[in-house]
Amino acid sequence: MPTPQYDLAFRDIVGGVLHWQLWSRAGWTDVRARYRRTTFGPFWASISLGIMMVSMGLVWSFLWKMSVKDYLPFLSAGMLSWSLVSGLINDGASVFTAQKGLLETLHFPLTMLTCAVVWRNLLLFFHNIVIYLLVVLIFRVPVTWATLLIIPGLIVIGVNGIWVATLLGMVGARYRDVQQLISNLLQIVLFLTPVFWTPDQLAASGRARMVLVDFNPMLHYINILRNPLLGKFPTLLDCEVVIMLTILGWLVTVAVYARFRRRITYWL
Amino acid sequence: MASITLENVTVDFTIYGHHSFRTALLSSAGGLIRRQGRKSDRITVRALDNLSFQISHGDRVGLIGHNGAGKSTLLRVLAGVYVPVSGRIITEGKVSSLLNSSPGMNSDDTGYENIMTCGMYLGMTKDEILRIIPDIEEFSELGEYLSLPIRTYSTGMLTRLSFGIATSINPEILLLDEGLSAGDARFIERANQRVNKLINRASVLVLASHGDSLIKSMCNRCILMNHGQVVKIGDTDEVIDAYHRLNSEQAAA
Repeated sequence: MPTPQYDLAFRDIVGGVLHWQLWSRAGWTDVRARYRRTTFGPFWASISLGIMMVSMGLVWSFLWKMSVKDYLPFLSAGMLSWSLVSGLINDGASVFTAQKGLLETLHFPLTMLTCAVVWRNLLLFFHNIVIYLLVVLIFRVPVTWATLLIIPGLIVIGVNGIWVATLLGMVGARYRDVQQLISNLLQIVLFLTPVFWTPDQLAASGRARMVLVDFNPMLHYINILRNPLLGKFPTLLDCEVVIMLTILGWLVTVAVYARFRRRITYWL
Repeated sequence: MASITLENVTVDFTIYGHHSFRTALLSSAGGLIRRQGRKSDRITVRALDNLSFQISHGDRVGLIGHNGAGKSTLLRVLAGVYVPVSGRIITEGKVSSLLNSSPGMNSDDTGYENIMTCGMYLGMTKDEILRIIPDIEEFSELGEYLSLPIRTYSTGMLTRLSFGIATSINPEILLLDEGLSAGDARFIERANQRVNKLINRASVLVLASHGDSLIKSMCNRCILMNHGQVVKIGDTDEVIDAYHRLNSEQAAA
């Protein structure tokens, strides 16, 4: 067992996370840069999300024959959560290739970059949540004790985002097809995951439900955020799956990072 | 005491699956190119070949050699960016590098914002950066421009800013790569003064360049590199002579 490697990897990962002054600044600069000189700034993303929520909410509630009052908040909370989770995965795959210049100039803990990606996506989420507040007010979405679970939910997703971005960032730097593959897969997964449709619309049991609902890791990540947004508690299964995946993901990431950390700059 | 020790440092770059790139490379100058296995797409370029030397406290080392001799790669190894494929490097002291671009600079941010970002990447805290700002203001002579986005700057202004930031730190080991040349004569002179001051604060300088006047004025030791190997280490004048001889030999061949 190459212990010094693990020791270095571990110190690198922790060191990067502790550099919060830098990654919070870098994440914020990214958000600002993208919307510089626009009137609504980052709210442009929120506005387009809002338009999609309303138009899809109206049409699909009609198609599914559900009341708008039930369906639109569900759809909105789902899309809000999805845009955070999928944003982390998408940006994660290109986190190292996007910072080629920096990585070839300086030596620093790489998790600093992945933390910046996570922070950027959380900031966008906070912008988007303004739109959701309107939904809450208009459709009287219940605000309960469970609503408070948004905060731990975001922390859990952030903690997962760091390993996801680090792991996918490494794979994406080595195999460039991965970035394209992931953004394509995410589109498919969006339709397969109960975001636009509810799990109740599937038969109560059966193979489809098992694959798309119970065994769907994305759904459990969505649920730990979506349920509190709707004023409901996440299910025990959601929490169990997310905790398991958090531990598993970090173990794999640390192992891969320890093995390949030194190769990353060579792949760029 | 700051020092750098290299023991049998070798760096190979693997070129992944570039068919056309392979033929282009085979004919070019630079490191030694070899294939891994016969059927494999992969070829590797040996950028640094078994380097061993020591740079000790107070040294101001110039790296000279042709394009592709391995100067920039060596600087990046010294900066910790590339971990050697084999051999090892032992660095004592804090390394700061001014290679090509300034780290983390964002063209839409103002000069002041970039000083902050850049300074943080160079390992300074917010308070330390606030303290060096007057010094950078003075050296860069950018005045009001520092409040404008740096995309409005000319190349020279940008160089003054990034050079000002990089040299305002208190490095123990400073790595510089050519960038100095982008500037007018007056800038080069002021840059020299500033590097001299920096060197008084710092302990080790490693400067890569192929113009020998710069190296003659700044360095007391020199390393001549060719095809990823060290050809000669010694006093600046001797090594520069060797460099000229190498040039004429290659021109004759």
